[in-house]
Amino acid sequence: MVDADASPPQAGEPISEQEALRRLRQSEDSSQQYYGAWWLGRMRSQHPEAVPLLQQALRQRRPRDSGDGVEENAVARNAARALGKLAPAAQTAIPDLLDTLQDADDGLREAAARALGQLAASEAIEALCEKLASGPAGAGAQQANSPRLVEPCEALLEALGDIGVNEPRVLAVVKPFLAHERPLIRSAAARTLLQLSGEARWGELLVDLLDHPQLQVRRAALMDLGAAGWRPGFKAIAATLAENSLKLMALRGLVEQGNGDPGDEALLACMDALL
Amino acid sequence: MAEQITALQQADSAQDLLRATQELAASADASAAPVLVEVLGFNNPGAAVAAVEGLISLGTAAVDALLQLDPENYGARAWAVRALAGIGDVRGLELLLDALGSDVAASVRRAAAKGLGQLQLDELPPDQQQAVRRQCLGALLAATSDGEWVVRYAVAVGLELLAAGLPPRLPEWQQARAGLVTLLAAAPDNAPVVQRRAHLALLRLEQQ
Repeated sequence: MVDADASPPQAGEPISEQEALRRLRQSEDSSQQYYGAWWLGRMRSQHPEAVPLLQQALRQRRPRDSGDGVEENAVARNAARALGKLAPAAQTAIPDLLDTLQDADDGLREAAARALGQLAASEAIEALCEKLASGPAGAGAQQANSPRLVEPCEALLEALGDIGVNEPRVLAVVKPFLAHERPLIRSAAARTLLQLSGEARWGELLVDLLDHPQLQVRRAALMDLGAAGWRPGFKAIAATLAENSLKLMALRGLVEQGNGDPGDEALLACMDALL
Repeated sequence: MAEQITALQQADSAQDLLRATQELAASADASAAPVLVEVLGFNNPGAAVAAVEGLISLGTAAVDALLQLDPENYGARAWAVRALAGIGDVRGLELLLDALGSDVAASVRRAAAKGLGQLQLDELPPDQQQAVRRQCLGALLAATSDGEWVVRYAVAVGLELLAAGLPPRLPEWQQARAGLVTLLAAAPDNAPVVQRRAHLALLRLEQQ
């Protein structure tokens, strides 16, 4: 759906690119590194030092144990997110992100998967499929002491959709998640299948989720329809019980990512009415 | 009427409040306006949406109640901006200008931008029409550099609405057109959807 904490750590003073690079380069204060990494991604920095510094920050991660190392992994998570935003310059970081996909930290695996999707890294397909291959009862099972799933399935599924390689082995790995007990995972699977195949049945499945009793699920289905740019869903999007801001974001996705009927003019008229 | 107001005031669950607000909003009775305005401050988004719809359908009869709203009540004010934008009464001008220029919420700025394009000016004398239109235009042009795509999108809509029906020889028409050309630009952080909306607005204005 959406990146859980892509927001700035704290509002802070506006800083320059040089200052962001300096903060990321120093190693005494990890909260400064955290902010520097976030800034470079947010501002889509094109500075030649940005990607190497973010790669270095990503490698700084350490095994997670209670009470320790959390802060440092927070820097690595932000570095992964920033690398995802720096396509195509960040192509060189794909091997590092692939390594990170095997990290013990759930949040880091999730951030790495999203970044690989944003970089459209076809090299990652194999590893993503492998992570998901055990299906809803394996990768999709809930962890013993946490509400998290064994693997960050939503991010892994969506990365496969964003990479966009429509191959039978990818479809075969994604489809079982349409039966996952959590509607957010079903939504992510349908979105990916829609992006890969363009088949209407997956779009219709997302439209059904727009009626789900939980607001959180309706919001996710809105974002997923927008990401896939599925234009036939526009009226259902406009009628969903959710904030207009989210409906407008979804309709923007239809305009920018989609094609065919309805045309731009009908979609834009629908957006105008939601302002 | 009194019965519906009592039902609303006694509603003790979110669902009851929503139902009572919907009934009151459907009554099309001007005496419902102050009560609907009160609902805007209850921090219940479902009921607030219903109240805004009711207030818009009451039109100019709801404006006094909306303008009496406590400016400190931020949540309610955001909803009031949407209602005033939808009603299009020129008495809402100050509040809309202020909202577009300085509100922290993009959802409020976007509603204000569209509202500034659709104020009903027909009943004003021509010189006042022009003065109001210039104020709206100034605020919309300033907001073409808003940091949020959705606000710039709404500015494109507002500029089109404002210029539609004006003769192209007027400076206001030309300035609105220039604002749309700004929004058409493919700057790195402009959104394609904003460009497409500005393009559509320019096509329509030039065909009129």
